[in-house]
Amino acid sequence: MGNEQTELLQGTLDMLILKSLALGEMHGLGISRRIEQITRGTFQVKPGSLFPALHRMEEQGWLKASWGESENGRRARYYQLTRTGRKRLGSETERWSRISLAIERALEA
Amino acid sequence: MWLKNAVKNWMGRRRAEAELDEEVRGYVEMAAEEKVRNGADARGARREAILEAGGVEQVKEQAREVRAGHFLETLWQDIRYGARMLRKAPGFTAVAVLTLALGIGANTSIFSMVDWLMLRPLPVKDAGQLTYLVAQLKSGGYENGFSFPNYDDIRNQSTSVFSNVAGVQPFQMDGLNADGKTMQIWTNYVTGNFFEMLGIKPALGRFILPSEGKVAGADPVLVLSYSYWQAHFDEDPNVIGRKVAVNGQPVTIIGIAPKGFQGALAILDTQGYLPVSMAGTTLAAKSDVLTNRQDEIGMILIGRLKPGENLLAAQPVLRVIAKRLSSQYPTIDKWSSMEARKLTAAPPSAGNSQPLPVIAGLFLFLAGMVLLLACVNVANLLLVRAGVRGREMAVRAALGAGRGRLMRQLFTESILLALLGCAGGIALGIGGSRALNSLNLGTAIPVRLDFNFNWRVFSYAFAAALLTGIVVGFVPAIRASLGNLNEVLHEAGRTATGRRQRMSSTLVVAQVAGSLMLLIVAGLFVRSLRNVQHTNLGFDPSHVLNISMDPHEAGYDSAKGARFLHDLAERVRTLPGVRSASIAATVPMGLETYGADLKIVGYEPPKDQGSIFAGENGVSPEYFETMNIPLVEGRGFLDSDEANAPHVAIINETMAKKYWRGKDTLGRQFTIVDDPAHPVQIVGVVKDSVTGSISETIGPYFYLPFTQKYIAPATLQVRTKAAPESMASGILGIIREIEPAMPTFDVQTMTKALDTINGLMLYRLGASLAALLGCLGLLLAIVGVYGVLSYAASQRTHEIGIRVALGAQRGQILKMIFRQGLLIVGVGLGVGILAALGISKMIGTLLVGIGGADPLTYAVVSTFLAIVALAACWIPARRAMKVDPMVALRYE
Repeated sequence: MGNEQTELLQGTLDMLILKSLALGEMHGLGISRRIEQITRGTFQVKPGSLFPALHRMEEQGWLKASWGESENGRRARYYQLTRTGRKRLGSETERWSRISLAIERALEA
Repeated sequence: MWLKNAVKNWMGRRRAEAELDEEVRGYVEMAAEEKVRNGADARGARREAILEAGGVEQVKEQAREVRAGHFLETLWQDIRYGARMLRKAPGFTAVAVLTLALGIGANTSIFSMVDWLMLRPLPVKDAGQLTYLVAQLKSGGYENGFSFPNYDDIRNQSTSVFSNVAGVQPFQMDGLNADGKTMQIWTNYVTGNFFEMLGIKPALGRFILPSEGKVAGADPVLVLSYSYWQAHFDEDPNVIGRKVAVNGQPVTIIGIAPKGFQGALAILDTQGYLPVSMAGTTLAAKSDVLTNRQDEIGMILIGRLKPGENLLAAQPVLRVIAKRLSSQYPTIDKWSSMEARKLTAAPPSAGNSQPLPVIAGLFLFLAGMVLLLACVNVANLLLVRAGVRGREMAVRAALGAGRGRLMRQLFTESILLALLGCAGGIALGIGGSRALNSLNLGTAIPVRLDFNFNWRVFSYAFAAALLTGIVVGFVPAIRASLGNLNEVLHEAGRTATGRRQRMSSTLVVAQVAGSLMLLIVAGLFVRSLRNVQHTNLGFDPSHVLNISMDPHEAGYDSAKGARFLHDLAERVRTLPGVRSASIAATVPMGLETYGADLKIVGYEPPKDQGSIFAGENGVSPEYFETMNIPLVEGRGFLDSDEANAPHVAIINETMAKKYWRGKDTLGRQFTIVDDPAHPVQIVGVVKDSVTGSISETIGPYFYLPFTQKYIAPATLQVRTKAAPESMASGILGIIREIEPAMPTFDVQTMTKALDTINGLMLYRLGASLAALLGCLGLLLAIVGVYGVLSYAASQRTHEIGIRVALGAQRGQILKMIFRQGLLIVGVGLGVGILAALGISKMIGTLLVGIGGADPLTYAVVSTFLAIVALAACWIPARRAMKVDPMVALRYE
């Protein structure tokens, strides 16, 4: 897997994960597919970036993990947002829209 | 937070590990199922899912890396793994650890010596702020002995940078009389503020006060050192207030200095302290020491820098003071400048070039070279192992270890090796220091050698070990990181030999060069020692016994002292087995040498010298017989040359040549500047002989009859028929019989005296240390050359087999391997000679009779090393020659 893509995702990956978990708990593959879906395939998150990010965010207290059963009856680790995680999503979203607005303006100027 | 997580992760690491595995595997399985649902076949889907994920183990490792405490956890893994690898290769580990222990041990021993000499602070308050003053003379030299008025002026004028300045008249040997017996005591005469300036507290009683020591003859008080109090007064607290006598003058013991305090000039163990005001009373010094600016008592001035001030700030202030005083007293203080130097345990030196830092630097450098050679050897061993472990590394990489992780693993192993070496090295170093500590300096001066290990030495050893670990691990780690995983896993083992070989060869070149340099330096020192040993002494040291004593210490004045010594010699002469007995003020290799400025009618000294100077000695008539110094012309001294008779002298040949061109010397006169009332007539000329330390060049020298020039302490010299040691107790008995309170010191044969600190000892010590380091270097170089060539030859077995099969002659094979060794050794020798020439510039002043580029030493040492190194090449080359092509080709 390319390191280049990881670097591209740096910063945005956290936000995308938080966003995809906003609707409810999900396991790793689910999150990956969800991000693909909401970005219409622009971002494909490989497990080599996904799991380190999930574990890091869990240690930071943004996510909480628990074992559950997947749709096919397989044991899987489900992640859900904590209160801090939700707050973080808010601030990240705000920051991101500020940046994207600024860049949009810059490109239009 | 981080710590909490780290601890939590550490505690639950087994479960977390299982969960991580299940999670990542689950992910891959689900991805595969997804693919099957989309129509792929089951086996293909799983493979594809794994590939897309980038490998299960790799993902797991990436996820682990973000965990808190991951670094510590993997470090622990690395250490355990490293320890296991070292245990599995005990031969390699033993050789590597021993090699490093030798290197680190040599460094630690030498550093403990340097630490003692230069780094260890005095046990006083803020020792870092203490400095001593050195005046630069207009004539170019330096001096650090000041008069009491100098002390007053300098102290009063330097208050902007010094919070206090105290004076110490360094070393006096006095006699302390208590309970009817006299003991020798080495004293400092100090200004009243000495102890206040140092900021220490007495162990008992009180110290000399700043208000004391200002009026000549006043304040007859004595402070004893702790160890002297222990040794001579059994730690009796009642000594405080006790009346004793120093050199016959009554004084009162007022205090005991704290334990471990050896004085401000700590290389010498000061045993007692008196106020400088007593110098005129207890010493034979003139009574006006406190007011006489001219007659210097040679006080060393110690200045305490104000808090926040540094040496640099003090220099301009002192320069101004020197200028001011020299214009105020132009005939006395002939100074052009003055400077402050840091006071360490090393004796204050007045010289411009300070030899200690040079010597210390040199030996640290040599020891560093040995360590470097050891490092190179171990690095080479590790390189060989890296070749063997190439597959292991590749497998670990395949199992998800990143490049950084692999390098770290290798560094962990090399540092582990180095730390083991460090432990061994410290053990060796302690042994080495013990050996140095037990040196017998062979003089009566209480020098305390104390190369004990302290935190500075331990940190030095530890730092050396860490550095060693990094240096040693560097090459293999770089190589491991360059390795191509695929290549290694597929090839059978003959991998990247070329690159490895080049690295090893470069390392061995460095090794040969370094060891040659060490050997050349050792060779230069050994040659110097031999030159000193073969110095023509000019006297015959065999069968001579010396016994020194100072009648002042028994309270004798000059007249009484002279009579005592005369009578003593007379009585010793009557003993059976004595050929002759004589008295001399100073003996070769002794504690003191004397000299005087002279006036000689008809001789103008060259402009740059300014005065006529010659060494002097006071001797009894039998001296030349005892020492076996032949008379060239004229007569010896006679009993008729008494104190009241006209003063006469016997001079050495150098003096006759220098001041009278060696012609018609007899009957000529000269005047001693300090004693103009007694012009001296030359009655005899003797052969040149060594008079002071063994390395001094023989200069102009004159002898006066002991009756006309009484100097104490003096030495009774006895030439015996049998072994001189056997006479000692009998003669000491006679001394006790005449005066029970007369202390004696330096009872030793002249042959023994030649081995003391003023004789050969320092040369012998320097030469042995250098030779030891040189031999270590040589050993390491041999191992290096042999190891690398053997390995190279064994790696080329296959190639050699083919060559032989294709018709190459045995001799050609031998030449091929040998040429490789020759090249390495040749380049190494070239580089080594250049390096040695560089170093020898630095040590030229320490050598005797040869220059730093002494061609003989270079030629002999290089040839020797070349022969040894080529012998080390020969064995692997011969082995390669004997390779059986069938065996070699079937191999692998």
